[in-house]
Amino acid sequence: MVITGRNLRRLVRVPTLIVFATVQPVLFVLLFTYVFGGAIRPSGVEHYVDFLLPGIFVLAIAFGASQTGVAIADDLATGMIDRFRALPMTRSAVLAGRTVADAVRNLFVLLLMTGVGYAIGFRFHAGPVAAAGAIGLALLIGVALSWINALVGLLVHDAETAGLAGLMPVIVLVFTSSTFVPIATMPGWLRAFAEINPVTVTVDALRALVLGGPTAEHVWQALAWIVGLLVVTVPVAVLRYRRTVAG
Amino acid sequence: MPTHFLGDTAALTGRTLRHVTRSLDTVLSTAVMPIAMMLMFVYVFGGAIDTGRARYVDYLLPGILLITIGSGISYTAFRLFMDLKSGILERFRSMPIAGSSVLWAHVLTSLVANLISLVVVVAVALLMGFRSGAGVLPWLGVAGILVLFILALTWIAVIAGLSASSVDGVGVFSYPLIFLPFVSSAFVPTATMPGPVRWFAENQPVTSIVDTIRSLLAGQPAGGDSWVALLWCAGILVIAYAGAMAAYRRKIA
Repeated sequence: MVITGRNLRRLVRVPTLIVFATVQPVLFVLLFTYVFGGAIRPSGVEHYVDFLLPGIFVLAIAFGASQTGVAIADDLATGMIDRFRALPMTRSAVLAGRTVADAVRNLFVLLLMTGVGYAIGFRFHAGPVAAAGAIGLALLIGVALSWINALVGLLVHDAETAGLAGLMPVIVLVFTSSTFVPIATMPGWLRAFAEINPVTVTVDALRALVLGGPTAEHVWQALAWIVGLLVVTVPVAVLRYRRTVAG
Repeated sequence: MPTHFLGDTAALTGRTLRHVTRSLDTVLSTAVMPIAMMLMFVYVFGGAIDTGRARYVDYLLPGILLITIGSGISYTAFRLFMDLKSGILERFRSMPIAGSSVLWAHVLTSLVANLISLVVVVAVALLMGFRSGAGVLPWLGVAGILVLFILALTWIAVIAGLSASSVDGVGVFSYPLIFLPFVSSAFVPTATMPGPVRWFAENQPVTSIVDTIRSLLAGQPAGGDSWVALLWCAGILVIAYAGAMAAYRRKIA
């Protein structure tokens, strides 16, 4: 909790971190809703913003998660991790505290994005339980991405490289998924990739919870991806952290 | 126009062109972002965007060409800024050189560099399936409008290069120029946009220029759009040229 508090205080003192995590997604929402939205008509959706926003939730969280690696790499470079070693604290608290702080930030970002969405016509169509489920699932996606980026930060030791390494795959995966348009409209070779893209799986699950209709299959697939990623990255990140602090 | 002005401009253009040819990667890198955008819009979004045309790449290319110019001219501002910082302009002042030929050299170099980038982008578009039913004259018309647009934006870049106080600040002016095509008919028809956005899109320079190029490439008459496009380009060019000359005089005073 102490480490979580430290990371949250950093967000308050360096608000540009929150701005980075929110301004770009907000711009995407406005651009795609008001400029491109009228020309994109996904079947079964009355307002394009309802189709778009679940994807933007993932985009916002993914953009924000890239800062996790940056922060950990920065702590390593500035010797902050070495100072933590001298304190009587659990080794994994640094990583756990970081990811909990990220979850709090993500909750704020999600609520902000929902507010922006509501202002321009977005609505949860499947009731409050499904809406809470969508927010919860989005937070779980954030936890998985935070651990991936924490591992990246531990591997590269350099804040700038960590930022790039965290952001580049996200940009590729988000844009080659169902985030902005239905994958049925993509050419065959790209559709084949988009269908197995984890971002498509998670966005489709969020979209099902937002729009209503059959959700179980989408949600289970998304949860399987999240659990799979956590099972792989958490032990590896903790092991890497122990090796790093052991010198 | 005195003959020594032309000679000076030619000599100085040769100098700045050598900078470009020695680092051709900078010219090609200006084409990377527009090409990436074209790939993304054609293959990811193209199938979902309804433009009323068979091939979205045919609809998209004119806007991408303008974005290529928008990203390319920032290098002109950067090169001019570096000349200022290195003190080479001070050395030129002590020589019998026509004052404005220094700026014209950068402008003409920008024209050449941007035309190379545009050729690269068109080549990629052809590989992606772009086809034009236009003859030689419409293509010359497209080239003319693009040259005019490059010159207009380059003189804006000259103002930025002369006015910037740091390397980071040099390229900032080009962000709005790259953003404008997004709120125009470059990517989607303006008819699909909501009221206020549509009004802005239909009354900003990029839309008329894009629509003119699109009509010419499709082998259709450009109509009134072409005159609006030419007026925008000429107007921006005249104002930017005057502003650049004023900024240059202030700088060397």
